Amino acid sequence: MLLETHHLTKRFGKRIAVNDLNLKIARGSFTALLGPNGAGKSTTMNMLIGLSQPTAGTVIYEHHSKIGVVFQGSVLDDCLTVRENLQIRAEQYHHIPADRVTILSQQLGLATFMQQRYVTLSGGQKRRVDIARALLNDPDILFLDEPTTGLDIQTRRAIWTLIQRLQRDRQLTVILTTHYLDEADAANHVVVIDHGCVLAQGTAAEIKDRYAADVLTVTTPDVDQLLGQVALQPTYQTGTQVTYSLATMQAALDILMTNRALISNFEFRPGTLDDAFLALTGKEMR
Amino acid sequence: MLAMIKRNLLLYFRDWSGVFFSLLGALISFILYLIFLKQNMLTSWQRVPHARLLLDTWLIGGTLAITGITTTLTSLSLMVSDREKHVTSDLELTDAGPFRLFISYLCSATIIGTLMQVVMLVIMWGSFYLTDGVTFGSLTVGKVLGLMVVSALLATMVNAVIIYGVHAVNTLNKLGTIVGTAAGFLVGTYIPIGILPTFAQNLVKVVPGSYVAALYRQYLMADYLKTAFSGNRIARTHFERLMGVRLNWSTLLTHPETYHIMGLILIGATVLAFGPVWIRVRRQHQSIQER
Repeated sequence: MLLETHHLTKRFGKRIAVNDLNLKIARGSFTALLGPNGAGKSTTMNMLIGLSQPTAGTVIYEHHSKIGVVFQGSVLDDCLTVRENLQIRAEQYHHIPADRVTILSQQLGLATFMQQRYVTLSGGQKRRVDIARALLNDPDILFLDEPTTGLDIQTRRAIWTLIQRLQRDRQLTVILTTHYLDEADAANHVVVIDHGCVLAQGTAAEIKDRYAADVLTVTTPDVDQLLGQVALQPTYQTGTQVTYSLATMQAALDILMTNRALISNFEFRPGTLDDAFLALTGKEMR
Repeated sequence: MLAMIKRNLLLYFRDWSGVFFSLLGALISFILYLIFLKQNMLTSWQRVPHARLLLDTWLIGGTLAITGITTTLTSLSLMVSDREKHVTSDLELTDAGPFRLFISYLCSATIIGTLMQVVMLVIMWGSFYLTDGVTFGSLTVGKVLGLMVVSALLATMVNAVIIYGVHAVNTLNKLGTIVGTAAGFLVGTYIPIGILPTFAQNLVKVVPGSYVAALYRQYLMADYLKTAFSGNRIARTHFERLMGVRLNWSTLLTHPETYHIMGLILIGATVLAFGPVWIRVRRQHQSIQER
Protein backbone atom coordinates (compact mmCIF):
# COMPACT_ATOMS: atom_id res chain seq x y z
CA MET A 1 0.00 0.00 0.00
CA LEU A 2 1.24 3.47 -0.87
CA LEU A 3 -0.53 5.00 2.11
CA GLU A 4 -2.19 3.54 5.19
CA THR A 5 -3.74 5.03 8.26
CA HIS A 6 -4.17 3.17 11.52
CA HIS A 7 -6.82 4.32 13.98
CA LEU A 8 -6.39 7.92 12.88
CA THR A 9 -8.18 10.20 15.34
CA LYS A 10 -8.42 13.95 15.70
CA ARG A 11 -10.15 15.78 18.53
CA PHE A 12 -10.70 19.51 18.87
CA GLY A 13 -11.43 19.86 22.57
CA LYS A 14 -14.36 17.59 23.21
CA ARG A 15 -15.48 17.40 19.60
CA ILE A 16 -14.24 14.42 17.62
CA ALA A 17 -13.52 15.49 14.05
CA VAL A 18 -12.08 12.18 12.85
CA ASN A 19 -12.76 8.97 14.71
CA ASP A 20 -10.60 5.85 14.33
CA LEU A 21 -10.10 6.10 10.59
CA ASN A 22 -8.44 3.17 8.84
CA LEU A 23 -7.61 3.65 5.19
CA LYS A 24 -5.59 1.68 2.69
CA ILE A 25 -4.65 3.47 -0.51
CA ALA A 26 -3.13 1.34 -3.29
CA ARG A 27 -0.67 2.79 -5.80
CA GLY A 28 -2.41 4.11 -8.90
CA SER A 29 -5.85 4.06 -7.29
CA PHE A 30 -8.43 6.84 -7.34
CA THR A 31 -10.11 7.44 -3.99
CA ALA A 32 -12.96 9.83 -3.30
CA LEU A 33 -13.68 10.98 0.23
CA LEU A 34 -17.36 11.85 0.36
CA GLY A 35 -19.23 13.51 3.15
CA PRO A 36 -21.51 16.42 4.03
CA ASN A 37 -20.13 19.73 5.33
CA GLY A 38 -18.27 19.26 8.59
CA ALA A 39 -17.97 15.49 8.15
CA GLY A 40 -14.21 15.56 8.73
CA LYS A 41 -12.98 15.36 5.12
CA SER A 42 -10.60 18.31 5.22
CA THR A 43 -9.33 17.40 8.69
CA THR A 44 -8.53 13.92 7.38
CA MET A 45 -6.78 15.40 4.35
CA ASN A 46 -4.70 17.73 6.53
CA MET A 47 -3.52 14.82 8.66
CA LEU A 48 -2.68 12.74 5.59
CA ILE A 49 -0.47 15.49 4.16
CA GLY A 50 1.13 16.22 7.53
CA LEU A 51 -0.21 19.72 8.09
CA SER A 52 -2.19 18.73 11.14
CA GLN A 53 -1.17 16.44 13.99
CA PRO A 54 -3.45 13.49 14.77
CA THR A 55 -4.57 13.18 18.40
CA ALA A 56 -4.02 9.44 18.07
CA GLY A 57 -3.15 6.94 15.35
CA THR A 58 -0.58 6.95 12.57
CA VAL A 59 -0.18 7.78 8.90
CA ILE A 60 2.27 5.53 7.08
CA TYR A 61 3.64 6.21 3.61
CA GLU A 62 5.70 3.97 1.40
CA HIS A 63 9.35 5.02 1.55
CA HIS A 64 10.25 8.19 -0.40
CA SER A 65 6.70 8.95 -1.48
CA LYS A 66 6.27 12.42 -2.90
CA ILE A 67 3.00 14.23 -2.41
CA GLY A 68 1.26 17.02 -4.29
CA VAL A 69 -1.71 18.96 -2.96
CA VAL A 70 -4.38 21.09 -4.63
CA PHE A 71 -5.88 23.11 -1.80
CA GLN A 72 -9.50 24.16 -1.62
CA GLY A 73 -8.64 27.84 -1.82
CA SER A 74 -6.02 29.33 -4.05
CA VAL A 75 -2.51 29.45 -2.60
CA LEU A 76 -0.72 31.22 -5.44
CA ASP A 77 0.09 34.92 -5.55
CA ASP A 78 -2.36 37.21 -7.33
CA CYS A 79 0.17 39.85 -8.36
CA LEU A 80 2.65 37.42 -9.85
CA THR A 81 2.36 35.95 -13.33
CA VAL A 82 1.62 32.26 -13.81
CA ARG A 83 5.23 31.62 -14.82
CA GLU A 84 6.63 33.51 -11.82
CA ASN A 85 4.32 31.64 -9.47
CA LEU A 86 5.27 28.23 -10.82
CA GLN A 87 8.97 29.03 -11.18
CA ILE A 88 9.25 30.32 -7.61
CA ARG A 89 7.50 27.25 -6.22
CA ALA A 90 9.63 24.96 -8.39
CA GLU A 91 12.77 26.47 -6.90
CA GLN A 92 11.59 25.47 -3.43
CA TYR A 93 12.21 21.82 -4.33
CA HIS A 94 15.51 20.03 -4.76
CA HIS A 95 16.16 18.13 -7.98
CA ILE A 96 13.50 19.63 -10.21
CA PRO A 97 14.63 19.81 -13.85
CA ALA A 98 14.97 23.36 -15.18
CA ASP A 99 12.40 22.81 -17.93
CA ARG A 100 9.76 21.36 -15.58
CA VAL A 101 7.56 24.48 -15.59
CA THR A 102 7.63 24.77 -19.37
CA ILE A 103 6.80 21.09 -19.87
CA LEU A 104 3.93 21.19 -17.37
CA SER A 105 2.56 24.36 -18.91
CA GLN A 106 2.39 22.60 -22.28
CA GLN A 107 0.87 19.40 -20.88
CA LEU A 108 -1.82 21.25 -18.96
CA GLY A 109 -2.52 23.84 -21.64
CA LEU A 110 -1.30 26.89 -19.75
CA ALA A 111 1.00 28.18 -22.48
CA THR A 112 -1.32 30.96 -23.67
CA PHE A 113 -1.56 32.66 -20.28
CA MET A 114 1.84 32.01 -18.71
CA GLN A 115 2.69 35.73 -18.76
CA GLN A 116 -0.62 36.83 -17.27
CA ARG A 117 -0.95 37.72 -13.62
CA TYR A 118 -2.71 34.98 -11.68
CA VAL A 119 -5.45 37.38 -10.51
CA THR A 120 -6.59 38.00 -14.11
CA LEU A 121 -7.28 34.31 -14.87
CA SER A 122 -10.71 32.69 -15.02
CA GLY A 123 -11.73 30.15 -12.37
CA GLY A 124 -10.94 27.20 -14.60
CA GLN A 125 -7.55 28.59 -15.66
CA LYS A 126 -6.64 29.19 -12.03
CA ARG A 127 -7.48 25.62 -11.11
CA ARG A 128 -5.34 24.29 -13.95
CA VAL A 129 -2.43 26.39 -12.68
CA ASP A 130 -3.08 25.11 -9.14
CA ILE A 131 -2.92 21.54 -10.45
CA ALA A 132 0.29 22.32 -12.35
CA ARG A 133 1.75 23.68 -9.11
CA ALA A 134 0.83 20.44 -7.31
CA LEU A 135 2.56 18.39 -10.03
CA LEU A 136 5.85 20.33 -9.92
CA ASN A 137 7.67 17.74 -7.83
CA ASP A 138 6.30 14.84 -9.93
CA PRO A 139 4.32 13.41 -6.99
CA ASP A 140 3.37 9.78 -6.44
CA ILE A 141 0.14 10.80 -4.79
CA LEU A 142 -2.02 13.82 -5.57
CA PHE A 143 -4.49 15.19 -3.01
CA LEU A 144 -7.30 17.44 -4.20
CA ASP A 145 -9.54 19.20 -1.68
CA GLU A 146 -12.82 19.96 -3.45
CA PRO A 147 -11.07 20.85 -6.69
CA THR A 148 -14.18 21.79 -8.67
CA THR A 149 -16.26 23.67 -6.09
CA GLY A 150 -17.57 26.95 -7.46
CA LEU A 151 -16.79 26.19 -11.10
CA ASP A 152 -19.35 26.07 -13.92
CA ILE A 153 -20.30 22.72 -15.39
CA GLN A 154 -18.10 23.03 -18.49
CA THR A 155 -15.06 23.90 -16.42
CA ARG A 156 -15.83 21.14 -13.92
CA ARG A 157 -15.91 18.62 -16.78
CA ALA A 158 -12.63 19.92 -18.19
CA ILE A 159 -10.86 19.80 -14.82
CA TRP A 160 -12.31 16.39 -14.20
CA THR A 161 -11.10 15.03 -17.54
CA LEU A 162 -7.66 16.46 -16.80
CA ILE A 163 -7.44 14.73 -13.41
CA GLN A 164 -8.54 11.40 -14.87
CA ARG A 165 -6.04 11.72 -17.69
CA LEU A 166 -3.25 12.44 -15.23
CA GLN A 167 -4.20 9.44 -13.15
CA ARG A 168 -4.24 7.17 -16.20
CA ASP A 169 -1.14 8.45 -17.99
CA ARG A 170 1.15 8.88 -15.00
CA GLN A 171 -0.16 6.05 -12.85
CA LEU A 172 -0.78 8.78 -10.31
CA THR A 173 -2.53 7.91 -7.08
CA VAL A 174 -5.36 10.37 -6.53
CA ILE A 175 -7.27 11.17 -3.36
CA LEU A 176 -9.95 13.80 -3.55
CA THR A 177 -12.71 15.20 -1.41
CA THR A 178 -15.85 16.36 -3.14
CA HIS A 179 -19.46 17.33 -2.71
CA TYR A 180 -20.29 16.34 -6.26
CA LEU A 181 -21.34 12.73 -6.22
CA ASP A 182 -21.13 12.30 -9.97
CA GLU A 183 -17.40 12.91 -9.61
CA ALA A 184 -17.09 10.17 -7.01
CA ASP A 185 -18.85 7.82 -9.43
CA ALA A 186 -15.69 7.62 -11.50
CA ALA A 187 -13.49 6.73 -8.55
CA ASN A 188 -12.46 3.15 -7.98
CA HIS A 189 -12.65 3.56 -4.24
CA VAL A 190 -15.30 5.63 -2.49
CA VAL A 191 -15.17 6.36 1.23
CA VAL A 192 -18.27 7.90 2.77
CA ILE A 193 -17.45 9.81 5.95
CA ASP A 194 -19.74 11.50 8.44
CA HIS A 195 -19.11 12.77 11.97
CA GLY A 196 -15.53 11.62 11.55
CA CYS A 197 -16.46 7.96 11.02
CA VAL A 198 -16.35 5.84 7.87
CA LEU A 199 -19.94 4.89 7.08
CA ALA A 200 -19.21 2.86 3.97
CA GLN A 201 -16.40 2.15 1.58
CA GLY A 202 -15.99 0.25 -1.66
CA THR A 203 -16.42 0.91 -5.34
CA ALA A 204 -19.16 3.32 -6.36
CA ALA A 205 -21.15 0.37 -7.77
CA GLU A 206 -20.88 -1.60 -4.53
CA ILE A 207 -22.04 1.33 -2.46
CA LYS A 208 -24.97 2.03 -4.76
CA ASP A 209 -25.91 -1.66 -4.69
CA ARG A 210 -25.88 -1.81 -0.94
CA TYR A 211 -27.30 1.51 0.10
CA ALA A 212 -29.26 2.99 -2.80
CA ALA A 213 -32.77 1.77 -3.58
CA ASP A 214 -34.06 1.78 -7.18
CA VAL A 215 -36.94 4.13 -7.87
CA LEU A 216 -40.03 3.25 -9.89
CA THR A 217 -42.54 5.95 -10.78
CA VAL A 218 -45.80 4.76 -12.33
CA THR A 219 -48.40 6.94 -14.06
CA THR A 220 -51.95 5.58 -13.85
CA PRO A 221 -55.51 6.85 -14.48
CA ASP A 222 -56.69 5.04 -11.30
CA VAL A 223 -54.29 5.63 -8.41
CA ASP A 224 -56.55 4.05 -5.76
CA GLN A 225 -56.89 0.76 -7.61
CA LEU A 226 -53.14 0.52 -8.16
CA LEU A 227 -52.47 1.22 -4.47
CA GLY A 228 -54.88 -1.61 -3.63
CA GLN A 229 -53.14 -4.07 -5.98
CA VAL A 230 -49.56 -3.45 -4.80
CA ALA A 231 -48.71 -4.59 -1.29
CA LEU A 232 -45.75 -2.15 -0.99
CA GLN A 233 -46.06 1.26 0.70
CA PRO A 234 -45.36 4.04 -1.86
CA THR A 235 -42.78 6.71 -0.99
CA TYR A 236 -44.68 9.44 -2.83
CA GLN A 237 -47.99 9.87 -4.61
CA THR A 238 -49.95 12.49 -6.58
CA GLY A 239 -53.35 12.39 -8.34
CA THR A 240 -51.88 10.46 -11.29
CA GLN A 241 -48.52 9.10 -10.14
CA VAL A 242 -47.20 6.68 -7.54
CA THR A 243 -43.51 6.29 -6.63
CA TYR A 244 -42.00 3.17 -5.06
CA SER A 245 -38.57 2.63 -3.60
CA LEU A 246 -37.40 -0.90 -4.44
CA ALA A 247 -34.51 -3.09 -3.44
CA THR A 248 -34.09 -4.75 -6.83
CA MET A 249 -34.94 -4.25 -10.45
CA GLN A 250 -36.90 -7.56 -10.36
CA ALA A 251 -39.38 -6.09 -7.89
CA ALA A 252 -40.03 -3.25 -10.34
CA LEU A 253 -40.61 -5.72 -13.16
CA ASP A 254 -43.11 -7.66 -11.01
CA ILE A 255 -45.17 -4.53 -10.31
CA LEU A 256 -45.13 -3.51 -13.97
CA MET A 257 -46.08 -6.98 -15.26
CA THR A 258 -48.93 -7.71 -12.87
CA ASN A 259 -50.52 -4.26 -13.27
CA ARG A 260 -49.81 -3.57 -16.94
CA ALA A 261 -53.49 -2.84 -17.69
CA LEU A 262 -53.54 -0.08 -15.06
CA ILE A 263 -50.32 1.63 -16.17
CA SER A 264 -50.29 4.40 -18.78
CA ASN A 265 -46.55 5.20 -18.37
CA PHE A 266 -43.60 4.56 -16.05
CA GLU A 267 -40.09 5.63 -15.25
CA PHE A 268 -37.45 3.40 -13.70
CA ARG A 269 -34.27 4.89 -12.22
CA PRO A 270 -31.52 2.74 -10.70
CA GLY A 271 -30.24 3.95 -7.33
CA THR A 272 -27.62 6.69 -7.60
CA LEU A 273 -24.74 7.60 -5.35
CA ASP A 274 -26.88 10.55 -4.23
CA ASP A 275 -29.50 8.11 -2.91
CA ALA A 276 -26.85 6.04 -1.15
CA PHE A 277 -25.31 9.17 0.31
CA LEU A 278 -28.62 10.45 1.65
CA ALA A 279 -29.48 7.01 3.01
CA LEU A 280 -26.14 6.93 4.82
CA THR A 281 -25.85 10.48 6.09
CA GLY A 282 -29.48 11.47 6.61
CA LYS A 283 -31.45 14.29 5.04
CA GLU A 284 -31.06 17.10 7.52
CA MET A 285 -28.92 20.10 6.59
CA ARG A 286 -25.73 20.94 8.41
CA MET B 1 15.39 30.45 -0.23
CA LEU B 2 16.58 33.02 -2.77
CA ALA B 3 13.45 32.38 -4.81
CA MET B 4 11.29 33.03 -1.75
CA ILE B 5 13.13 36.26 -0.97
CA LYS B 6 12.61 37.31 -4.57
CA ARG B 7 8.91 36.46 -4.27
CA ASN B 8 8.50 38.48 -1.08
CA LEU B 9 10.27 41.49 -2.60
CA LEU B 10 8.21 41.26 -5.81
CA LEU B 11 4.98 41.14 -3.81
CA TYR B 12 6.05 44.15 -1.73
CA PHE B 13 7.22 46.37 -4.55
CA ARG B 14 4.44 45.48 -7.03
CA ASP B 15 1.92 46.88 -4.57
CA TRP B 16 2.66 50.56 -5.13
CA SER B 17 0.03 51.87 -2.78
CA GLY B 18 1.36 49.56 -0.07
CA VAL B 19 4.90 50.92 -0.54
CA PHE B 20 3.61 54.50 -0.52
CA PHE B 21 1.60 54.14 2.67
CA SER B 22 4.37 52.28 4.39
CA LEU B 23 6.69 55.22 3.60
CA LEU B 24 3.99 57.71 4.55
CA GLY B 25 3.97 56.29 8.07
CA ALA B 26 7.57 57.42 8.41
CA LEU B 27 7.14 60.63 6.39
CA ILE B 28 4.45 61.77 8.81
CA SER B 29 6.93 62.58 11.55
CA PHE B 30 9.00 64.53 9.06
CA ILE B 31 6.03 66.51 7.80
CA LEU B 32 4.67 67.10 11.31
CA TYR B 33 8.05 68.39 12.38
CA LEU B 34 8.21 70.82 9.49
CA ILE B 35 4.70 72.14 10.01
CA PHE B 36 4.28 72.17 13.79
CA LEU B 37 7.49 71.62 15.72
CA LYS B 38 10.46 73.06 13.92
CA GLN B 39 9.80 76.73 14.64
CA ASN B 40 8.90 76.06 18.24
CA MET B 41 12.02 74.04 18.95
CA LEU B 42 14.22 76.51 17.15
CA THR B 43 12.96 79.26 19.44
CA SER B 44 13.92 77.31 22.54
CA TRP B 45 17.38 76.55 21.15
CA GLN B 46 18.11 79.95 19.64
CA ARG B 47 21.20 80.48 21.78
CA VAL B 48 22.88 77.35 20.43
CA PRO B 49 24.90 78.04 17.28
CA HIS B 50 23.79 76.04 14.21
CA ALA B 51 20.57 75.11 16.07
CA ARG B 52 18.76 74.70 12.77
CA LEU B 53 21.26 72.15 11.43
CA LEU B 54 21.34 70.28 14.74
CA LEU B 55 17.58 69.96 14.83
CA ASP B 56 17.37 68.88 11.17
CA THR B 57 19.88 66.09 11.67
CA TRP B 58 18.28 65.15 14.99
CA LEU B 59 14.98 64.67 13.18
CA ILE B 60 16.57 62.62 10.38
CA GLY B 61 18.00 60.24 12.99
CA GLY B 62 14.66 59.67 14.72
CA THR B 63 12.73 59.34 11.49
CA LEU B 64 15.13 56.75 10.08
CA ALA B 65 14.61 54.65 13.22
CA ILE B 66 10.81 54.89 12.77
CA THR B 67 11.15 53.99 9.09
CA GLY B 68 13.02 50.82 10.03
CA ILE B 69 10.24 49.81 12.43
CA THR B 70 7.20 50.54 10.26
CA THR B 71 8.48 49.27 6.92
CA THR B 72 9.76 45.96 8.29
CA LEU B 73 6.42 45.48 10.01
CA THR B 74 4.56 46.08 6.74
CA SER B 75 6.86 43.64 5.00
CA LEU B 76 6.40 40.97 7.67
CA SER B 77 2.63 41.26 7.26
CA LEU B 78 3.14 39.00 4.23
CA MET B 79 4.01 36.23 6.68
CA VAL B 80 0.67 36.71 8.44
CA SER B 81 -1.35 36.91 5.24
CA ASP B 82 0.41 33.78 3.93
CA ARG B 83 -0.58 31.97 7.10
CA GLU B 84 -4.14 33.24 6.87
CA LYS B 85 -4.57 32.21 3.23
CA HIS B 86 -2.91 28.79 3.80
CA VAL B 87 -0.05 29.74 1.49
CA THR B 88 2.27 28.74 4.33
CA SER B 89 0.78 25.24 4.31
CA ASP B 90 1.55 24.98 0.62
CA LEU B 91 5.09 26.32 1.03
CA GLU B 92 5.85 24.01 3.95
CA LEU B 93 5.09 20.99 1.77
CA THR B 94 8.10 21.87 -0.38
CA ASP B 95 11.68 20.90 0.42
CA ALA B 96 12.31 24.39 1.81
CA GLY B 97 10.90 23.63 5.25
CA PRO B 98 9.65 26.03 7.92
CA PHE B 99 13.08 27.33 8.99
CA ARG B 100 14.26 28.49 5.62
CA LEU B 101 10.81 29.86 4.94
CA PHE B 102 10.92 31.92 8.12
CA ILE B 103 14.43 33.14 7.37
CA SER B 104 13.32 34.22 3.89
CA TYR B 105 10.61 36.43 5.40
CA LEU B 106 13.17 37.93 7.78
CA CYS B 107 15.70 38.53 4.99
CA SER B 108 13.21 40.22 2.71
CA ALA B 109 11.92 42.39 5.58
CA THR B 110 15.50 43.44 6.38
CA ILE B 111 16.20 44.27 2.74
CA ILE B 112 12.98 46.27 2.46
CA GLY B 113 13.64 48.05 5.77
CA THR B 114 17.13 49.03 4.61
CA LEU B 115 16.01 50.24 1.18
CA MET B 116 13.17 52.29 2.63
CA GLN B 117 15.55 53.96 5.08
CA VAL B 118 17.79 54.86 2.14
CA VAL B 119 14.79 56.37 0.34
CA MET B 120 13.79 58.33 3.45
CA LEU B 121 17.35 59.60 3.95
CA VAL B 122 17.44 60.82 0.36
CA ILE B 123 14.10 62.60 0.74
CA MET B 124 14.96 64.25 4.07
CA TRP B 125 18.54 65.09 3.27
CA GLY B 126 17.48 66.52 -0.09
CA SER B 127 14.89 68.75 1.43
CA PHE B 128 17.08 69.94 4.32
CA TYR B 129 19.95 70.53 1.92
CA LEU B 130 17.73 72.84 -0.08
CA THR B 131 16.25 74.70 2.90
CA ASP B 132 19.08 74.74 5.48
CA GLY B 133 22.15 73.50 3.60
CA VAL B 134 22.58 70.24 5.55
CA THR B 135 25.53 68.19 4.28
CA PHE B 136 27.24 64.98 5.41
CA GLY B 137 30.74 63.67 4.72
CA SER B 138 31.17 60.39 2.87
CA LEU B 139 32.43 58.68 6.05
CA THR B 140 29.25 59.64 7.89
CA VAL B 141 27.10 58.41 5.00
CA GLY B 142 29.01 55.12 5.00
CA LYS B 143 28.46 54.62 8.74
CA VAL B 144 24.79 55.54 8.41
CA LEU B 145 24.30 53.04 5.58
CA GLY B 146 25.83 50.34 7.76
CA LEU B 147 23.59 51.31 10.65
CA MET B 148 20.57 51.09 8.33
CA VAL B 149 21.19 47.38 7.87
CA VAL B 150 21.59 46.86 11.62
CA SER B 151 18.49 48.96 12.30
CA ALA B 152 16.41 46.99 9.77
CA LEU B 153 17.64 43.66 11.13
CA LEU B 154 16.89 44.60 14.72
CA ALA B 155 13.43 45.98 13.85
CA THR B 156 12.67 42.85 11.82
CA MET B 157 13.55 40.52 14.68
CA VAL B 158 11.63 42.51 17.28
CA ASN B 159 8.60 42.78 14.96
CA ALA B 160 8.78 39.06 14.21
CA VAL B 161 8.44 38.39 17.93
CA ILE B 162 5.57 40.87 18.27
CA ILE B 163 3.54 39.41 15.40
CA TYR B 164 4.12 35.80 16.41
CA GLY B 165 0.66 35.51 17.97
CA VAL B 166 -1.14 37.43 15.19
CA HIS B 167 -3.05 35.19 12.80
CA ALA B 168 -5.25 37.65 10.90
CA VAL B 169 -4.17 40.42 8.55
CA ASN B 170 -6.99 42.54 9.92
CA THR B 171 -5.54 42.36 13.43
CA LEU B 172 -2.08 43.08 12.07
CA ASN B 173 -3.30 46.22 10.31
CA LYS B 174 -4.66 47.51 13.59
CA LEU B 175 -1.39 46.63 15.30
CA GLY B 176 0.45 48.45 12.49
CA THR B 177 -1.57 51.59 13.13
CA ILE B 178 -0.77 51.43 16.84
CA VAL B 179 2.94 50.82 16.22
CA GLY B 180 3.09 53.57 13.60
CA THR B 181 1.45 56.07 15.95
CA ALA B 182 3.40 55.07 19.03
CA ALA B 183 6.81 54.70 17.37
CA GLY B 184 7.31 58.44 16.97
CA PHE B 185 6.89 58.96 20.70
CA LEU B 186 8.59 55.76 21.81
CA VAL B 187 11.87 56.43 20.03
CA GLY B 188 11.73 60.11 21.07
CA THR B 189 11.26 61.60 17.61
CA TYR B 190 8.25 63.84 18.18
CA ILE B 191 9.26 65.06 21.61
CA PRO B 192 12.85 65.03 22.92
CA ILE B 193 13.29 62.36 25.57
CA GLY B 194 14.73 64.86 28.06
CA ILE B 195 11.51 66.80 28.53
CA LEU B 196 9.37 63.67 29.07
CA PRO B 197 8.29 62.59 32.57
CA THR B 198 10.44 59.88 34.21
CA PHE B 199 8.07 57.02 33.43
CA ALA B 200 7.95 57.96 29.75
CA GLN B 201 11.74 58.26 29.69
CA ASN B 202 12.03 54.72 31.05
CA LEU B 203 9.51 53.55 28.48
CA VAL B 204 11.61 55.04 25.70
CA LYS B 205 14.65 53.25 27.07
CA VAL B 206 13.05 49.80 26.79
CA VAL B 207 12.20 50.33 23.13
CA PRO B 208 14.98 48.93 20.90
CA GLY B 209 14.37 51.62 18.28
CA SER B 210 15.50 54.31 20.74
CA TYR B 211 19.05 52.95 20.68
CA VAL B 212 18.98 52.92 16.89
CA ALA B 213 17.76 56.53 16.89
CA ALA B 214 20.51 57.49 19.35
CA LEU B 215 23.20 55.93 17.15
CA TYR B 216 21.84 57.65 14.04
CA ARG B 217 21.98 60.97 15.88
CA GLN B 218 25.53 60.31 17.04
CA TYR B 219 26.62 59.75 13.44
CA LEU B 220 24.56 62.43 11.75
CA MET B 221 25.00 65.19 14.33
CA ALA B 222 28.69 64.56 15.15
CA ASP B 223 30.14 67.33 13.03
CA TYR B 224 27.49 69.88 13.93
CA LEU B 225 27.76 69.06 17.66
CA LYS B 226 31.49 69.63 17.51
CA THR B 227 31.14 73.10 16.04
CA ALA B 228 28.10 74.05 18.11
CA PHE B 229 29.59 73.12 21.48
CA SER B 230 33.30 73.61 20.79
CA GLY B 231 34.94 73.00 24.13
CA ASN B 232 31.82 73.39 26.20
CA ARG B 233 31.44 69.79 27.41
CA ILE B 234 28.81 70.45 30.05
CA ALA B 235 26.48 72.14 27.63
CA ARG B 236 27.07 69.38 25.10
CA THR B 237 26.33 66.60 27.58
CA HIS B 238 23.18 68.39 28.65
CA PHE B 239 22.07 68.70 25.03
CA GLU B 240 22.86 65.06 24.27
CA ARG B 241 20.87 63.86 27.27
CA LEU B 242 17.94 66.13 26.54
CA MET B 243 17.70 65.24 22.85
CA GLY B 244 18.38 61.51 23.21
CA VAL B 245 21.64 61.65 21.27
CA ARG B 246 22.98 59.45 24.03
CA LEU B 247 20.61 57.56 26.29
CA ASN B 248 21.03 57.80 30.02
CA TRP B 249 21.26 54.63 32.10
CA SER B 250 23.29 55.36 35.23
CA THR B 251 25.54 57.54 33.11
CA LEU B 252 25.22 58.57 29.49
CA LEU B 253 25.83 55.51 27.29
CA THR B 254 28.90 55.62 25.10
CA HIS B 255 28.81 54.64 21.47
CA PRO B 256 30.13 51.06 22.02
CA GLU B 257 27.82 50.57 25.02
CA THR B 258 24.82 51.46 22.86
CA TYR B 259 25.94 48.91 20.26
CA HIS B 260 26.35 46.27 22.99
CA ILE B 261 22.83 46.81 24.25
CA MET B 262 21.49 46.55 20.70
CA GLY B 263 23.47 43.37 20.19
CA LEU B 264 21.94 41.82 23.29
CA ILE B 265 18.42 42.85 22.24
CA LEU B 266 19.09 41.35 18.80
CA ILE B 267 20.22 38.04 20.30
CA GLY B 268 17.23 37.93 22.65
CA ALA B 269 14.76 38.72 19.86
CA THR B 270 16.36 36.11 17.59
CA VAL B 271 15.95 33.41 20.24
CA LEU B 272 12.34 34.43 20.88
CA ALA B 273 11.53 34.61 17.16
CA PHE B 274 13.05 31.23 16.24
CA GLY B 275 11.91 29.36 19.36
CA PRO B 276 8.30 28.77 18.30
CA VAL B 277 9.34 27.72 14.77
CA TRP B 278 11.80 25.24 16.23
CA ILE B 279 9.18 23.75 18.57
CA ARG B 280 6.68 23.40 15.74
CA VAL B 281 9.20 21.67 13.47
CA ARG B 282 10.05 19.17 16.19
CA ARG B 283 6.40 18.31 16.75
CA GLN B 284 5.65 17.97 13.05
CA HIS B 285 8.37 15.41 12.45
CA GLN B 286 6.70 12.92 14.74
CA SER B 287 3.37 12.59 12.94
CA ILE B 288 4.07 10.95 9.55
CA GLN B 289 6.04 7.75 9.25
CA GLU B 290 7.60 6.04 6.29
CA ARG B 291 7.97 2.39 5.69
